[in-house]
Amino acid sequence: MLMHVINVGHDVFAANDKLAEKNRKSLDKHGVLAVNIMGAIGSGKTTLIEEAIKALKDKYRIAVIAGDVIAEMDASRFRKLEVPTVPANTGKECHLDAKIVEKALKEIDLKNTDLLIIENVGNLICPVDFKLGEHLRIVAVSVTEGDDIILKHPMIFKTAELAIINKIDLAAAVDVDPEKMVSDIQALNPEVPILLTSKHSRESLDLWVATLEAGLESR
Amino acid sequence: MHEYSIACEIYEQVIATARAHGASEVRAVTLQMGRLTHTNPEQLKFCFDVLAEGSIAKGAEFLVEMIPPNVECECGYRGTVDTPGKPAGKSEEDRGEGGGKSGSENGNETGLHQSELLEYVAALNCPACGRAARITGGQELIIKTIDIETEAETEAETDNKF
Ligand SMILES: Nc1nc2c(ncn2[C@@H]2O[C@H](COP(=O)(O)OP(=O)(O)O)[C@@H](O)[C@H]2O)c(=O)[nH]1
Ligand SMILES: [Mg+2]
Ligand SMILES: [Zn+2]
Repeated sequence: MLMHVINVGHDVFAANDKLAEKNRKSLDKHGVLAVNIMGAIGSGKTTLIEEAIKALKDKYRIAVIAGDVIAEMDASRFRKLEVPTVPANTGKECHLDAKIVEKALKEIDLKNTDLLIIENVGNLICPVDFKLGEHLRIVAVSVTEGDDIILKHPMIFKTAELAIINKIDLAAAVDVDPEKMVSDIQALNPEVPILLTSKHSRESLDLWVATLEAGLESR
Repeated sequence: MHEYSIACEIYEQVIATARAHGASEVRAVTLQMGRLTHTNPEQLKFCFDVLAEGSIAKGAEFLVEMIPPNVECECGYRGTVDTPGKPAGKSEEDRGEGGGKSGSENGNETGLHQSELLEYVAALNCPACGRAARITGGQELIIKTIDIETEAETEAETDNKF
């Protein structure tokens, strides 16, 4: 018997990043803009995606990866809007990773897609460590989660490229000041654009849609 | 549970490396884990142990070395974050606004719970210029080494023997 120490040097997250990079390349090759929407269950991810689809689907070809825990439920909401949808969660995942997305991408006709929207698992913690190959990391939080939700989950806000504070129509009812949430986000991530949205405010949804459209135009 | 999928990847990588070196047994696995990853070392060990059951890595020692967070700033500042609550470090001067959050349990290596550490580091401003600092390290999860046993005849001359 001989004992050996073998140097391995394999970084688990770096391996995911590498695969994400590969996903990104195939998205770029076909000119697809991919956005990753993270946020707690019930924060309004599916609603925001539905609104974006309704507003943009006549102008752009959209596909969706439904990755939240009850992927099939969300997927049927997207299919109602007649966009190709891939459910990508067996109910066990606590986050999407680059491997899951790689597999889902095989079921999407990238050549005929302009915008790929990925709804991540409803969780403010696990998705942070895993890049998917997306161009824009979006976190959606709702005022009903309480105004200390941001400081309790700093990393997701620190690494987000767009932050959405949703359900502002309910702010007064739950005694939350959305401006406090804005300043908490800015303290963590001074440069990140922040949108305040409500599904009952057309104006706020238009801003959300315009943000995506700006991304699509600058592809 | 996120630790399970990570443990699967570690397990596969360990077994593949061990086999490639003709191992009959894996005695130890040493990881380096950034303090800012959302991964719990004890849960990871538990998942690994379950996966390794019945394999050549069964009962392997599972060691986790923690890597401290690193930050960088536009102004050129780079530094390792010396977490509060830890007795005396080199860069004592500036602890930012989080100075009051010193951890209560001193037996703990960092003096902070994971959640407090994340809050502290994410909110950290550059000690040199005060802008929000960028996190550049402490988010890795590396399989550093494995200790294996081989039968005397199967040889891998290049490795350290003892
Ligand atoms: N009042 C209010 N309700 C909203 C808003 N956005 C979403 N909701 C509701 O919140 C619930 C959860 O929304 P959903 O989009 O499914 O959240 P998801 O789990 O993040 O995908 C649904 O009943 C939505 O109708 C909003 O801006 N205001
Ligand atoms: Mg949903
Ligand atoms: Zn600085």
